Amino acid sequence: MALRLLTIAAAGLAPALAALALAIAAPAQPSADEVMAKAHLAMFYPGEDLRARVTMRLISRNGGERVRELTMTRRDLRDGGEQRYFIYFHRPPDVRDMTFLVWKYPGRDDDRWLYVPALKLVRRIAANDKRSSFAGSDFSYEDVSGREPEEDAHKLVREERVGERAAYVIESVPKDPASVDFSRKLSWIDTATWLPLKEEYYDRRGELSRVFTAEELKEVQGFWTVVKRVVKNVQTGHRTEAVLDGVRYDQKLAPDLFGERALRAPPAQLVR
Amino acid sequence: MRRLIAFSVNRPRLVVALTVLVTLVFAAQFPRITIDTDPENMLEADQPERVLYRQVKTEFGIRDLLVVGLVDPDGVYRPEALERYARIVDGISRIKGVVLEDLLSLTTTDDVKPSADTLSVAPIMARVPSSPEALETLRAALRTNPLFADKLADRDGQALAIYVPIQSKDQSRRVATEIEAIVGRERLPGQSFHIAGLPVAEDTFGFEMFVQMGVTAPLAMGFIFALLLVLFRRVSLVVIPMVVAMASVMWTMGALIGTGFTVHIMSSMIPVFLMPIAVLDSVHILSDFYEHYRSLGRRREALLGTMQEVFTPCLYTSLTSAVGFGSLALAPIPPVQVFGMFTAFGIMAAWLLTFTFVPAAIMLVPEARLQRLADGAVRPPVVDRAIERVLTAVRGVVTGRPGAVLAVGALAVVLALWGVAQIRVNDNPVNWFKPSHKIRVADRVMNERFGGTYMASLVVDGGAADAIKRPEVLGWIERLQAHLAETPPVGKTSSVADIVKRVDWALKGGGEDGRLPASQEAIGQELFLFLTSGKPTDLDNFLDTDARKAQVWVQLKRGDNVDMDRVAGAAAEFAERVPPPPGVTVRWSGLTWINVVWQKLMVRGMLEAVLGSFVFVFLLMVVLLRSATLGLASMVPLTVAILFSYGLLGLTGKDYDMPVAVCASLSLGLAIDLAIHYLQRFRAAYREVADIDKAQRATFGLPMRAITRNALVITLGFLPLVLSTLTPYVTVGMFFASLMAWSFVATIFFLPAVVALLGRRPLGRRILAGDVRWL
Repeated sequence: MALRLLTIAAAGLAPALAALALAIAAPAQPSADEVMAKAHLAMFYPGEDLRARVTMRLISRNGGERVRELTMTRRDLRDGGEQRYFIYFHRPPDVRDMTFLVWKYPGRDDDRWLYVPALKLVRRIAANDKRSSFAGSDFSYEDVSGREPEEDAHKLVREERVGERAAYVIESVPKDPASVDFSRKLSWIDTATWLPLKEEYYDRRGELSRVFTAEELKEVQGFWTVVKRVVKNVQTGHRTEAVLDGVRYDQKLAPDLFGERALRAPPAQLVR
Repeated sequence: MRRLIAFSVNRPRLVVALTVLVTLVFAAQFPRITIDTDPENMLEADQPERVLYRQVKTEFGIRDLLVVGLVDPDGVYRPEALERYARIVDGISRIKGVVLEDLLSLTTTDDVKPSADTLSVAPIMARVPSSPEALETLRAALRTNPLFADKLADRDGQALAIYVPIQSKDQSRRVATEIEAIVGRERLPGQSFHIAGLPVAEDTFGFEMFVQMGVTAPLAMGFIFALLLVLFRRVSLVVIPMVVAMASVMWTMGALIGTGFTVHIMSSMIPVFLMPIAVLDSVHILSDFYEHYRSLGRRREALLGTMQEVFTPCLYTSLTSAVGFGSLALAPIPPVQVFGMFTAFGIMAAWLLTFTFVPAAIMLVPEARLQRLADGAVRPPVVDRAIERVLTAVRGVVTGRPGAVLAVGALAVVLALWGVAQIRVNDNPVNWFKPSHKIRVADRVMNERFGGTYMASLVVDGGAADAIKRPEVLGWIERLQAHLAETPPVGKTSSVADIVKRVDWALKGGGEDGRLPASQEAIGQELFLFLTSGKPTDLDNFLDTDARKAQVWVQLKRGDNVDMDRVAGAAAEFAERVPPPPGVTVRWSGLTWINVVWQKLMVRGMLEAVLGSFVFVFLLMVVLLRSATLGLASMVPLTVAILFSYGLLGLTGKDYDMPVAVCASLSLGLAIDLAIHYLQRFRAAYREVADIDKAQRATFGLPMRAITRNALVITLGFLPLVLSTLTPYVTVGMFFASLMAWSFVATIFFLPAVVALLGRRPLGRRILAGDVRWL
């Protein structure tokens, strides 16, 4: 009797012991905060600067499509810190020559300027909301330029494969819930490239609202880059596909490009 | 059939048991009930206007809207009040079924404002202001911004609104209930709130309708029971017609549910319509049996004699009523078809029960109780004596001066026709509630303060991509809006033109009013600027993705059909005077418009269906009575009942609405019934005595007493419906009474007068005797 009890106990303990052995053998898991910090840098700060041609397709629930084509340049003042973006619009035709400048500061509102060629007017735009839409797409400014990891509390939920790739699943909860339109976010961070492969945003009711997927990754100049990213608003059915072409890093872009004057007269190489 | 009756008399227990069994089988279907309270389903799913509305909803991402108003007599522009408002919006944004993206409120909707060289795009009220200057700025922003004035705030500074888009209309009542809970919790003392909008009216009506069915139908049953008790004074007898009525309702609803049809607003009325018709036949039997038994004293003989007398008239009345209702199946409105077919089924079920269950049940009444009934014969009840006196007097007039009676009738018909000509076809689901109902109160308050809670959409199709961005197209839309704004009851219009003007104004530093730019590039870029700063859905609601179509959102302060019609007329008149740029077309849509479409179709469809039934019934009468003359005569009470009832409607100025349209069909079931009973019994008597006066006398005896009892029961029996909280039920109750009363008047005055006139001529007498056929 005693022997049988012992056997049962041993049988119960065995898997637990095995798991413990595995945990010791495997390299130490990074903390959730570390994962998100690395992901933030990998996604939004590779290289000193970036230039890419972006085609965005805005697709409504019933299949209606609007296309935005733009050249985007970015220059980092400090990794993980201040950044500047200069954007030139090629399409749709009636917005050709519109230019857009964003100075991004961690911890406070961006400065944004827009040039309206038909009226020959430059206007600073004070939008105190990083969650507002980028060019009418399902991407917010924050989705394009990154949300600071410090704004959320992160927790490693599990590890999971996304297609071929192993990923950390991180749950992030905003520290100031009133400041944003989501209550929590799940990110699948690639363990190899640190790029977010998938993100799920849950609205304030706790319902799934938007899903981001990195549909295509490519190594450019040694930097792994998401060259096709899709966001779908699962509640409205509206989605936006962004495809990056001609991605170049470290082009030594001139600081002048990121000033107000360039808005009216963008460099010829960007306009082509 | 005779064998079936004999069987029922011989094996009463078996027949009653079978009846119960069959009824249980039908009742077993009840749990499978699916309820459909959407009045839009009056239209076929592929009806063009519905298809367009669905298309408009997807193309522009617009939803059906509830309008929530917070009214504060102390003024809303104070921090405490605004704080509560913000918390209410926050609460509403958490309700399931609310479409967050399109929630329109001070805290969720962006405003475009200039300041120095900066263009600011931020929620109208990003945070609750506390300083007097900031409060004044907010007030000014709401008053001067054409996109928000009269929409989000009223002019007196005493009310703020929230526009709550919902995923589907059938969630309106639940969402409204949750909003009520939130506002009830958050509002300050002294603040009141209202929830208006067609979706909540329609959904709430659907809900209350079923509650009312549960209350008014039994109430009417109870009242009819009491009336029958007064007339027949034996519970054991009176229970029988009630069982027939209930069983036929259960058979019919069981069949309807069992065959997979949804219980819609129309079909929910079947029980109320079926009950009087089902009661009618068995009351004839009871009347006859009651009198035969009192004179004969032998149950079996009295019963068989009764059956012999009433079988043919009852068969005819049931057939004609069933055909009348059945022909509604030819109407192009699905719920009306279902209503017609199943009511016809119910009538035939009631007929079957009348000749099986009723005799069986009478056989089972203990002899002792029947005996007491016979004892009662010594002293006929007061009501009976009154009925008899009245009928004798009527007979004197009618047979004495039939010409004069008919002349009075003709005069009344002329008056009724004039009344019918005055009828105004109009409806509004909000008016289905009594004036004191919170939905009506909300409707009044909200439309007094804001631009309107009735939503309509004017869809402008530019014909090609980017057409709307053309300055001349946008300019035309602007002028059309200006024209509509001056057409009452339009309270507010919004369109992409307003957005462009606002952005233009803000871009140029906010001096004078915004203008529409003169070039397509400028318009395109200003729209892009708007898109770049707001939510992607902000523009979608007004402009489709390739800028080919625009939606002009028109808010109406009143949502009656005639109001919507007037506004549509004004738009058409404008397009006539100022033609749109080439290639541009406009169409109406939106919930208020859809209501006009289905209500018109319903009213017209019902009218045509009833006229069609009228013809069917007439042809059937000619065949059954084997005489065109008598067929025509039998239509007199039906015609008089409809003309007088509808004439009265026109004379009193009450709108011809959905319930009124439906009621016309009931006269097919009631008026024709009385006419057949009179005619058949008169002819039977005439064949027997071969003398017109004696036959009249006989018919004005027992048969007319039965007719009178029936008329009394139905006229009074449905008056409890008047107590209902929903006006369609009130209307139905009143109309039943009116239709039945006029049918009765026509049956005792005009029909016998026609017969009396016929009786004066040899040919007429031969027709009455049945010697001449088909004439």
